[in-house]
Amino acid sequence: MLDIRGLSKRFGYGKGEVTALHEVSFSIAEGEFFTLLGPSGCGKTTLLRLIAGFISPSGGSLVLDGKDIAAMPPNRRPVNTVFQSYALFPHMTVGENVAFALEAQGRPRSEIDPAVDKMLSLVQLLHLKNRKSSELSGGQQQRVALARALVAKPRILLLDEPLSALDMKLRKDMQIELKRLQRETGLTFIFVTHDQEEALTMSDRIAVMSGGRVQQIATPRELYDSPANRFVAGFIGESNFLAAKAANGAVEVGQGRMALEGAADGPLTLMIRPEHVMLAGNAPDALELEATVDQLVFFGTDTHVHLGLADGAKLVARVQNALHGTRNLNEGERIRIALPAKALRIVNDEEIAA
Amino acid sequence: MANRSFDVRKLPGAAAIAITCFVILYIPMAILVFYSFNAGKVIGNWEGASLKWYGAAIHNQAFLDAALNSLILATTASVISTLLATMAALATTRNERFRGEGVIHIILNQPLMVPEIVLAIALVIIVGQIKQVTGYTGLGFLIAAHTAFCIPFAYLPIRARLEGMDLSLETAAADLYASRFYTFRRVTLPLLSPGILSGFMLAFVISLDDLVISDFLKSPGQDTLPTYLMGELKRNLTSEIYAISSLLLLLSVLIVAGSWVATRKKD
Amino acid sequence: MNGPDTWRRWALSLPAVAVIMLFSILPLGVVLVYSFLTPGDFGNVKWIFSTDGWFSVLFERNIFDDTIGLSGANLSILFRSIILSVLTTLITLIFGVPTAWFIATRPPTQRNFWLFLITIPFWTNLLVRTIAVQEMIRSEGVFNRILLALGLIKEPIQMMYTDFAVLLGMTYVFLPLMVLPVYAAIEKFDFRLAEASYDLYASRLFCLRRVILPLIKPGVIAGSILVFVPSLGAYVTPRVMGGGKSMMLGNLIDLQFGQGRNWPLGAALSITLTVLVLLALIWYTRLTAGRKERDHG
Repeated sequence: MLDIRGLSKRFGYGKGEVTALHEVSFSIAEGEFFTLLGPSGCGKTTLLRLIAGFISPSGGSLVLDGKDIAAMPPNRRPVNTVFQSYALFPHMTVGENVAFALEAQGRPRSEIDPAVDKMLSLVQLLHLKNRKSSELSGGQQQRVALARALVAKPRILLLDEPLSALDMKLRKDMQIELKRLQRETGLTFIFVTHDQEEALTMSDRIAVMSGGRVQQIATPRELYDSPANRFVAGFIGESNFLAAKAANGAVEVGQGRMALEGAADGPLTLMIRPEHVMLAGNAPDALELEATVDQLVFFGTDTHVHLGLADGAKLVARVQNALHGTRNLNEGERIRIALPAKALRIVNDEEIAA
Repeated sequence: MANRSFDVRKLPGAAAIAITCFVILYIPMAILVFYSFNAGKVIGNWEGASLKWYGAAIHNQAFLDAALNSLILATTASVISTLLATMAALATTRNERFRGEGVIHIILNQPLMVPEIVLAIALVIIVGQIKQVTGYTGLGFLIAAHTAFCIPFAYLPIRARLEGMDLSLETAAADLYASRFYTFRRVTLPLLSPGILSGFMLAFVISLDDLVISDFLKSPGQDTLPTYLMGELKRNLTSEIYAISSLLLLLSVLIVAGSWVATRKKD
Repeated sequence: MNGPDTWRRWALSLPAVAVIMLFSILPLGVVLVYSFLTPGDFGNVKWIFSTDGWFSVLFERNIFDDTIGLSGANLSILFRSIILSVLTTLITLIFGVPTAWFIATRPPTQRNFWLFLITIPFWTNLLVRTIAVQEMIRSEGVFNRILLALGLIKEPIQMMYTDFAVLLGMTYVFLPLMVLPVYAAIEKFDFRLAEASYDLYASRLFCLRRVILPLIKPGVIAGSILVFVPSLGAYVTPRVMGGGKSMMLGNLIDLQFGQGRNWPLGAALSITLTVLVLLALIWYTRLTAGRKERDHG
């Protein structure tokens, strides 16, 4: 329903010119919960503001339902935003805030009042309708902002890091609440965040961005299991990277050697998630190495085992603290570890740039 | 001594100086008000309490004319200067710097940089010529001059309020289908109104306070309260002058109290 | 996109800019022109170029032997203006800073009351306040009457129309201008910083000197400028309190346009006064701009 084609944005002129977005292209389907994920300065907010119409693109097109909306001002676009700061009008009540969009469109009172009430009950705030927005708690303001953006039934709802101002507990609740709202309304959500966990738990698909470019677009599972490059692997979840050498269909790390398909001859980087590192030798089809236990860090549900390899490389293994079967390790102990072939990924060192 | 708590907010001697300061500020005004109730005409000789001089002031046509002139002048000048300052503030805040912005800034603040007496002399040279050539001697000159020097006073609080305003509110309004004008009417203007109000009040009081420029520019019969008071003061000191001064004092108490109540409600 | 927007912004600013250009800047330009003309016989000017106006600001020609000497009268008024303004600023500092501190450290509910008390004189007519302070020291005024009644003096002391009277009057009327900006600075001061300095073994004086004063300095400087600038250009207060005896620059300018009938000299004095004020303001912006740069660095 939304096709982004070669969209780019440059700020400034001459020497001061900065490209915030480099010809980004992808499509978003109807009813999708789509997340733009990346560190600050990656271009995700620029992309969101381009879709909302607060800034105009330097190039490319933005096609919504077959119509190019790139030149349309924000007050004509059927797209609404939940702002990071909520941007609730402080001089209006909750009800007036929610009614704003419909009043601005010049809808009749008879239509506005029931719509506002319906929206406020959807976010469970009907009882606060006559409160000033400044008298609300953070979580309540958040829900007013949602109701205000949803009331005019936009084609797409944009959410600009809407949970970043909330504390941990409230954040988890709102994640579930948002997901529920999205299912109930069947709306397309475009969600911006720098929090990978938030992105993984809520999204149907995620676009990982860096340096004004999309690095990878995939489902949360695919992103975690098969990151496209070292940046994506490092940004999503925790990862170990190992420098390796490939020759004749096998990879070599220190003294360890193992057959691995798809490895081109020459130096390469291997990635493995900490929970896949096995603290035992003699595993079939795995890369076996000798390591020293540098440090044990207790995390409650599991323990992080920091390991040093003979060549100085570092690895982290995560072991569950099960009642039985946890091996007793000591710092300074030398052990054998195994990295299963199934869990090893060859990752591209370069992120997508030029 | 040993057990006295250590208060970082305490500055030894500050309270004593502050109280002295308030006493010094208020005693002269209290004495002025006190003598305004003197039944006698000569200020020093207390001849019993009376509202006589307030009565005299209320029936003094020259005083009433001056009060009316002051009111017309202050109202007109502050309304116009607030309007112009609001427009200028909207144009010069919350934007990327534009060509000429620095110049506009200096011009808008220029009347603050020139001593009142210099501005009065400067205006009298020009206005004198215009009066001769056109024959017009109305309040227009005073209104124009007051408007000019009130603009920076109205501009400062309005601009400060605008700069403190959350830009995302207007963006949010645009996102919610509001046109530029609708956004201005429903979001910008209501949020700006406390700034406009304090700008207006400041301009009003500054205009009301002005003695020098009015005194130099006025044509016969155009006395304002301060110029009337100054004229009377030159002749001799009477209890009526103190009564009129007390009325002006009361007016400023009312204005300050009013503005406090107004801002308290807004917040 | 910058183009039309710049036009819109200029158009919005134009009415205010035009009013100030016409009724403040243009007249000032005329004053500059007048300072280079020849005095007319009955006031006003003759359109003949002359630098006599400027010459007379500092010098005078002896009418008998045509020698050139420094103009004692003008110079003494110039010095008096500067010295009285500096003294006014210093005295308001001594009273104003502790007062601002006192108000800022009251509990919030009481603070409004004290602020209210400082704002009332601020909004009260300058002439009314000058009349109030005049009542204190005039010959038949409060002080003299008390002293006479107590038998401490036999004759009233002449305090009016002296430099002391002008200084007292200016201090009285400009004091609130010092308190308010200093208060704003102290109110913003984070007292945890003072706690931190005491925790690090600072004495009260050391804390005041090294932590508090540097952080409230912008307010103190702003207050000083707010007092110094109107003091230098003061006209009403010296006219009432100083009469013809203790004149300041503002009164001298008035005199040249009135009885003196030397408009070019008055105009030159006006420009001199304006330049002095501008120098003070430029010094102030330099000081604050320098701080901003350091903050960024």
